[in-house]
Amino acid sequence: MALASSNMVVEIRGFRKEFKSALLRKRLVAVKGLSMEIAEGEVYGLIGPNGAGKSTTMKALLGLLQPSAGECRVFGHDASKVDARHQVGYLPENPYFFKHQTARETLEFYGKLCGLRGGGLKARVQEMLDLVRLADAAERRLSGFSKGMLQRIGLAQALIQDPKLLVLDEPTAGVDPIGSREIRDLILSLKGRGVTVFLCSHLLEQVQEVCDRVGVIYEGEMVVQGSVDSLCGAGDEVQLSVGGLDDAGLQSLRRWIVEQGGSVEAMARRERSLESVFIDVVTQRKGGHGV
Amino acid sequence: MKVFYFLVVFAAIMLGMLWVDFGSVGKAQDSEQSLRVMKGAAFFSMNVFAAVFAIAATALLIPKDVEDRTLYTILCKPVTRLDYLLGRYFGVLAMLAIGLLCMDVLLSAALWHTVEGMLAEQLPAMQALGFSQELIDERVTTLRQHGAGVGLQLGVLAVFLKAAVLAAVALCLSTFSTSTLFTLLATLVVMVVGLMVDEARGVMAEYAAHGRESRVLSVAHWVAYLFPDFKLMSLEDATIQGRMLELGLILRVCLVAALHVSIALVLSWFIFRKKEV
Repeated sequence: MALASSNMVVEIRGFRKEFKSALLRKRLVAVKGLSMEIAEGEVYGLIGPNGAGKSTTMKALLGLLQPSAGECRVFGHDASKVDARHQVGYLPENPYFFKHQTARETLEFYGKLCGLRGGGLKARVQEMLDLVRLADAAERRLSGFSKGMLQRIGLAQALIQDPKLLVLDEPTAGVDPIGSREIRDLILSLKGRGVTVFLCSHLLEQVQEVCDRVGVIYEGEMVVQGSVDSLCGAGDEVQLSVGGLDDAGLQSLRRWIVEQGGSVEAMARRERSLESVFIDVVTQRKGGHGV
Repeated sequence: MKVFYFLVVFAAIMLGMLWVDFGSVGKAQDSEQSLRVMKGAAFFSMNVFAAVFAIAATALLIPKDVEDRTLYTILCKPVTRLDYLLGRYFGVLAMLAIGLLCMDVLLSAALWHTVEGMLAEQLPAMQALGFSQELIDERVTTLRQHGAGVGLQLGVLAVFLKAAVLAAVALCLSTFSTSTLFTLLATLVVMVVGLMVDEARGVMAEYAAHGRESRVLSVAHWVAYLFPDFKLMSLEDATIQGRMLELGLILRVCLVAALHVSIALVLSWFIFRKKEV
């Protein structure tokens, strides 16, 4: 079936998911009539507390769960059909792989599942290993990988067939701040290449940084969704960052603002975040390489 | 790795068998009996290995993939659920085939060594005692029939076929079972019932012949069809006895095994295709 609006990569309409408890046959409603759309090239963030229905929505989108009601479509195909998954890459939260395989073997395995073969597969595997900076560990078994390295190999397998839609469930879970920033940069670079990204994360600051649109889900219902600008904008409030002024200069500035009819809501010396201190220190130790 | 341990134990059994003192002319029957014992022990080990591996490895497949979440990363690729099931099933069969092949090679080598040793000992003695060439040739044929030949390979094939059926049953049960223990036990029950189906049919036929038919018996008659008849597939019994098997029988056993495997795989797919993971 063709898409209603041609540039919509993901269409979820009235998605409802009920789970039956085994003993009492009591129904648990995980998602209650959720509707959302993700346009081509968009980065969409779904946020909500634990148990809100984020992972259930993602699983339905990947055909791992059947909707109790409503429909989930990916590139115009029913999400439960294999056709829908040719252009989809998925990184689950805390991914596990076959530990006896090396990083290269893992990527070759997932590449073959996507129909890649021969020289094309080998080249793509090497490209992915370079992209996630695991080329040096290509022949190491995953049993010896750290959590961050597993997350990176997970990201590489999600990207192995050059998907047009990337579904990321907590992509930076367990990753150190530098790795986390690299993943953020990678998402932005993929966005630049026209890849659509659908992500769930608890790191709201990061969601705000990379997402074009955000949806907030609570107890299985979409509470609010819209562009980051529209949701996070604070009306006519403006943030001004000033350097080189002493206390007297700041007082003059405050007076001038009041004279202009404005009001100063907050004025404080700016402090660096611990994250930026950490990244600077580690980057310097690495000899300037990094993010 | 566990397969490797099994192979080491099997190799130890085979080497142990080579220590047995095999017969002379006067103990012709003992020689054949010794070879039967050797093959019996080897096939027992093969059957245990094949059954344990087929049941344990297959019953753990899907629950382990769900627990490790490797199932998510596989099924969200353009892979049909049937492909996943078949890939997992044939992976188990490949491991099983490699294990049995190694055992087959070890058994063949041990049998060849033993039979040739017997012949080297018995033929000069028979010639010295003035046995006719015809009797000597007959002795050679009899002993070699017990050795490493086509019959032995067919026996190993039978072990493989039974394990393939067991693995398919375990896979089918694991598609809906929520407990690995249940899958293991239920497959064991299928195996035990499958070994008794032949006897049960015999008893039922006897009851029917004496006109003692009942509703329970007719239900049992149909229930028997639900279980694979492992006795029917036990071609290795003939191999142990040194009998040659008819090609028609071998083909029929292969077809029966293929039928059971197909039914179990179709059921597995039917249950698993909509399963929520």
